[in-house]
Formats: sequence, C-alpha cells, structure tokens
Amino acid sequence: MIAAVPSTPFAVSLWSLTPLVAGVVLVVLLTVLGKVPVRYNIRNLSVRWRTTLMTALAFTLVIALMTVMLAFVNGMYKLTQGSGQPANVLVLSEGSTDEAFSSLGFSDIGDIELVDRVLRDESNHPLASRETYVVVNQPVQVRQPGRPRGRFTQLRGLEDAALSGLVHGLELEPGGRWFSREGVLSLEEGKAEAIQCVIGEGIARELGRDRLPEQLAAAKNKERLEVGETFSLGGRTWIAVGIIRYSGATFDSEIWAKRDIVGKMFGKPNYTSIVLRTASAGDAARLKQFLSKDFSKAAVQPYLETEYFASLAETNKQFLFSIIVVTVIMSVGGIFGVANTMFAAVSQRLKDIGVLRILGYSRLHVQASFLLESLVIALAGGALGCALGCLSHGWQATSVISRNEPGSSKFVVLEMAVTGDTIAVGLTVALAIGLLGGILPSIKAMFVRPLESLR
Amino acid sequence: MKFFFLILKNLRRNLLRSTLTVLGTIALVVVVTLVWSILAFLDEVTAEKKSNLKAIVSERWQFPSQMPFAYADTLTEGAAREETDVRPLDNMTWQFIGATLDPKNAAHSERVFAFAMDPNKLRTMMDDLDHLPADQAAELDKAIAAMNENRQGAIFGKEWLAILNKRVGDRFTLYGRNYRGIDLEIEVVGTFPPGGRYDKTIVIHRDYLNNAIDGWPRDHGGQKHPLAEKRLNLVWLKVPDTAAYTRMANQIQSSPFYATPSVKCETSSSGIASFLDAYRDMIWGMRWLLAPACLVSLSLVISNAISISVRERRQELAVMKVLGFRPIQILVLVLGESLLLGVGAGFASAALTWYGINELLGGLKFPIAFFPSFLISRDALWWGPLVGGLAALLGSFLPAWNACQVKVSEVFAKVA
Repeated sequence: MIAAVPSTPFAVSLWSLTPLVAGVVLVVLLTVLGKVPVRYNIRNLSVRWRTTLMTALAFTLVIALMTVMLAFVNGMYKLTQGSGQPANVLVLSEGSTDEAFSSLGFSDIGDIELVDRVLRDESNHPLASRETYVVVNQPVQVRQPGRPRGRFTQLRGLEDAALSGLVHGLELEPGGRWFSREGVLSLEEGKAEAIQCVIGEGIARELGRDRLPEQLAAAKNKERLEVGETFSLGGRTWIAVGIIRYSGATFDSEIWAKRDIVGKMFGKPNYTSIVLRTASAGDAARLKQFLSKDFSKAAVQPYLETEYFASLAETNKQFLFSIIVVTVIMSVGGIFGVANTMFAAVSQRLKDIGVLRILGYSRLHVQASFLLESLVIALAGGALGCALGCLSHGWQATSVISRNEPGSSKFVVLEMAVTGDTIAVGLTVALAIGLLGGILPSIKAMFVRPLESLR
Repeated sequence: MKFFFLILKNLRRNLLRSTLTVLGTIALVVVVTLVWSILAFLDEVTAEKKSNLKAIVSERWQFPSQMPFAYADTLTEGAAREETDVRPLDNMTWQFIGATLDPKNAAHSERVFAFAMDPNKLRTMMDDLDHLPADQAAELDKAIAAMNENRQGAIFGKEWLAILNKRVGDRFTLYGRNYRGIDLEIEVVGTFPPGGRYDKTIVIHRDYLNNAIDGWPRDHGGQKHPLAEKRLNLVWLKVPDTAAYTRMANQIQSSPFYATPSVKCETSSSGIASFLDAYRDMIWGMRWLLAPACLVSLSLVISNAISISVRERRQELAVMKVLGFRPIQILVLVLGESLLLGVGAGFASAALTWYGINELLGGLKFPIAFFPSFLISRDALWWGPLVGGLAALLGSFLPAWNACQVKVSEVFAKVA
C-alpha cells in the first residue's frame, strides 16, 4: 500500500534556507569584522530598553501574523498534495474537469475497471473504487451564533467502502467498521432505517457541534461525533459506523455511504468517477495514457489522482499571493518603524560616535556597529514572532480548495502546519526589514564628523 | 490656533522622523483598509434586510441546484395560487452554462462560465446594475436591446473579453461542457460596466439555450438531452418586506408542484452566508487577528516615534513649564502632534488605497466564494483617519503622560 504523502512539519528546503543563512552570515560578519565591541551595542540596547522592546514587538507581530497565515496556506497545500495516491488514476467522463460534473454510465464503469494494469485484491477483484460524489445542502440543527442555517456537506456514495478505503489508502479508527452491503441499520422497530456511513475526522468535528443539548449531554466525546451517534441529512437519519483515521486528505471532510442510497436520494443515479489502483506511479501514468489515447469502449477523461488534487490548488496560490502582498505592505511599515528607531539612536549617540572615531574605529566599523544593532532587534523580534506563530501549528480550520472555476470547490477542514520553511521565511523577512530599516541610519552614523559631534 | 501652529512647527522640526512615521502609518493603514473593506462587503451581503429583499429558490438538497424548467412559470409567481397569495415584485431565472472554446482539448482549454437568463431582468434584478451612472446605463441598455433582437447575443464582463482575447462584435462558438453536445454560437453585443463584480460575468439569452435543449431530440432519435429536466438552477424573487418573504416562502415550500426534486426558499443573504461558512475561520482570522495586529503594530510605530521625540525634548518641555504651560497643555500638545500625524497619514492611506484599488486596479482580487473582486468602500475615507487617529492616541498617550510629568527641577539639575 502506498501511503498518503506524509507531513514533514519541520523540513526546510534550500530555497528558504539560503537567504536566511546569508542573513545570519551577515550578522556574524558584522560581529567579527565590526571591531566595535558587541558589549557596547548590547549596553545601548539595554539602556534604551523601551524603544528596543517596542521596535522588537512590532517585528514580533508582523512575523507572528505571517507565520499563522502561511501555516493556513501550508495546510491547504498539504491537502491538495496529500489527497491523491501516486499510483491511482481517477477517471471522469470525457471533458470533465471535476467529479461534481462528471457522469459515467454503468457499462462504462464495468469496462474501465477491467483494463490491464489495474491491481487486484486477494479475491481477484479489481482495486477500483466506483464513486458518486455529491455536495448536499445540510440544514444546521443547532444554529451557532453568527453562523448560517445550513452548510454544504460532501457526500461520497460507494459500492464497497472497504475496497474504496484500500484504494485511497485510508483506514478507520479503532472501534469503527465500514458500512454493510445494505448500507442501512434498523435503530427502532417500526421506524425508518438509519443510513450507515463512515465519516472523516474533520466533518465529525463539524457534525459534533450540531448536536442537540440532550445528545451532547449523552455524548462520549463532546468535540466530535463518534461511532454509533446519529445526525440528520436529506430528511433521513444517518448513523456513523466508523470514523476515517485522519490522513490530511480531502476525504477527512467527507461522509461515505452506500452509493445506491446516495444516488437515489440526491438525484445522481450515475457514477461520477472511478478510481483505479495500479502497482506504481509509472504504471498509473501508463494507464492514464492508455485510457486517454487507446481506450475506445467509453469516452473518458483520466487524471493521475495526484494531478487532479494538485489542480485544486488554484485557491491556495491566490491566498499565498495575498499573504505575500499583505506581508510586504506590513514589512514596509516595519522598515519605517526600524528606521525611525535607528535614526533616533544615531542622533542620541553622536558624541559616542565621535569618541569611537577618535579612538581609531573606522567609518565602516561604526556603520557595522549600528547595522548590527538593527539586525539584532529584528532577529530577536522575528524569532519571538515565529515562536508565537508556531502555536498555530496543528489548529484545525475550515476552508475551500478549488480550481477557481464555479462548482469545482471542495469544502475542507484543514490542519494548519508551521514548517521549517515557514520559520526560515519568517526570520529572513525579519532580517530583511532590519537590514533595510537600519541601512540608512547606519550610513548617517558612518558620516558623522568626530570633532563636530563632540563640540 | 496658536497651539495648532505650535504642533505643526514641532512636527516640522524633525521632518525625517515625522515623514518616517507618516510612511509607516500609511503602510499599516493600507492593510486595515483592505481587510475592513472585504469584511464590510461580506457583512453587507450576509446581513438580513428588512425591506426590498431578494429570495432564492433552489433545489432543496443538492448543490449545485438543478430543477426542471417547468418549475419556472409558477416559481416566478411565488407559487401563488389564490388571489390573496403573495406575488413577488420581480423575478429572474438563472441557468448555469459551463463551456469551452476548444472542444478537442476541453479539459485544458480556457473554461467559460455563463448565465442564461432573460436579459430584461439585468437592470431590474441584478445587484448594482439598477442604479448605474447614466452613460453606463445607456450602454448596458443598448446591449440588452441587442440581445432582445438577436437571441445569440451575449454580454461579457471586460475581464472575460481580455482572457478570451475577444471584442464586441466577435462571433464564436461555446461548446457545452455541462450541456454536453449543446454548442451555442454567440455574438458579443456589449459589455458590463467595468471595475466591479461583473468583470467575470457572461450572460446569454435563456431562450437561445432553451431552444437548443428543446431541439436536441430532433437529432437524437427523440431522446431528450440528459439535462433537459435539470436545466433550471436558481429562481430569484424580489419581495417588499420580511412578512411577504415569509408568506411566499411558505407558499413555495408547501406547494405540491415541487415534489421531485423538492425546493427550498431562502433569502439571498442566508444563501450567501451558507456558502461563506466554509471560509469562516479565515474571515475570523482577518477580523480578529490580522486587523487588530496591524492596529497594534501601528500604535507601536507611533508610540516609538513620539517617545523618542519626548525624550529629546525634555529640556524644552521643562522650559515650557517654566514659561507657564500647564501639564494638561503639554499633554494636549504631544497628543496633538501624534493625532495630526495619525489622522493625516490615515486619510492619505485610505484615499490612496481607494484610488489605487478601485480606479487603477479595478478591484481587489481575493478568492472568497464567488466574488471576483472587492472594491474599497467609500467609508474607508473616514475609517482611515479614524484608525490612524485612534492608533496615534493609544500609542502616544504614555509618552504624552511622561511629557506632562516632566519635573523642571530634575531636568535643570541634570543640565547644571
């Protein structure tokens, strides 16, 4: 079984590390080559501790915000990159770009799953997940303050849930089971049967908030819906028979139930897609090629599953762009703030500079000394900001991933992720603000005339 | 007035510091203006109105909604059956069309999304198009008249025309993606007013689409198009007040005509709120993390500048006290300097943002729900100075307090 893309929370890539390393090297060089004792800078910073603290705090806020925002987008990327299995091929009807608008007939499905390269299980059944995907309007039972009366819930109708779990690399949490062949369960004699379903961890939390006070009082878990608990959807009662173990995939935000029931209830009698498992990523690429060029029994649109979910990253890119814009604007504000502090520091220490010059320190030494101060404030504030931002790691949040095309949206619950890259970018931005804000004041310090300053 | 000139003089004395503080304030107020404009728009579209409100009728369970077009006749009348039943003031139907310009490469070519509707409803039912400036209204009316004359006519948003590299007068075919096999040869007869929510909108005549769907069986052995009975997506109804809405919603939801599929009626604000629910954490973050953090940063920047200024002027403040200035006057003087900087920079920032985003960029493109772009609210012109002013007051209060507490004897003792 090929596992979903594992999360690597503190991995750092070269592109984000290089500018940080360059910044740190600059700080070290200024310290080593600057000649002016670092003690002098530390003493100055501590004597003007209020100004230092306020400047550093401004950094902390900017960098903490940036870290939280990037953690949110990282969570979205984790979903779009981690939902697809590299060895899977997702087949839609010809011309479709999204499963919401695809329609595959019964005979088409039968022909597709019998093609070569599709793996088979122990009973020689093709490892193929026949699916009907619908988005359903679910009225909210207990309205939270400031929240709407309904939500959009994603429902996936499946023939054989265990097989689909195998194809998608998903497992159930202990104590759960896949829904039965019938897909329904009698709860009380004389009453309509409840529809069995397995639910993702994310949607279990959403549904958990939607319980009546008496249900909540009796619930084993106040945070989320658990196995054996019921909810209402489409005018019927549904019972959760299993919770899908958290995988960082879009399936964490879905409800899975028997396809016959889902299709009939929500007006989608056909299949929307079939997902085929092959032995490797290479086989999947070859199968995709075969289905798009040489398969003649049905008009289909095959996608590598990874490629399909990656195409849903359009919103992620737009959010990332917005974050960059906001960070740049806030950083510009930060640069002016640092420049103000450092210009004041230069003005207040004109006599110090004069003494330093008379003692034999060169203009460059003086400049290095002031630039170092600015970078140290930036680095300290930035590091604190990153530390604060790290608190958001693992928070769950709702969002939408889409191809930026009407109807292609998936409503997801994501886990925010602060990665090593995020921290590296945060510290680099802090250093850049410190450098840009400190450079002009340090040049001013450099050109202070010793005798005039001491007069 | 003398006091005001003294404040101005003080600010001019260290022009570099004042300029840097103003620039820092401008940058941070830009972020607050952007965030609040988006939030204000979302709050407005999700706020329940008391009068002149719009209701949306859609399929009860499935999203996107797909209903038979046969529902349209009675739904546009609010399912009124009796003389005493409530009827809507106006109505419109929407049919969604997904299409491509390149059928051979449908999965990868530019994907087009359009509404099929009665063009005469554009000016009476679509938000913002009912009160356009005279020149834009005349241009749109001309395009609507052209669509009424030529059913193949279509009105495009400027952004779509740019993306597709087309212009008014061009004719081309939209190859149906959801209406598979339905190819619509259209002619661009006009454009929507630029710089607003219609930049990425295409409207074609609903009769043209319906005729194409109804004509499908002639070429397909009498078989209906697979979406023939699912071609109506939304019905919009305008009602005078909430009482009329409640009665009409009851008429619609209790009507036996709409059984398979069943329908629901909700206010447009409620429908949009459901869609925005998925973005709630992000909106929460913008409202309660991003904007406040910008305000605090702003206060810190201003506070720092004023603190430095007060520290540098301790002797001068002591002299002022000797000359008869009372502590409260010194407090007001320092607060006034900071307030003037904050209010001035706040206004400049908001005005620049408003002009830059609305007039130069044609809107702020931020991917929330189905809104293509957001305009900076005119209200930003008073938010900006208010935000700048409040942040300045908060940030400078402590330095100003320190300034008015300056002890003359201590200062002169040090000098001596």
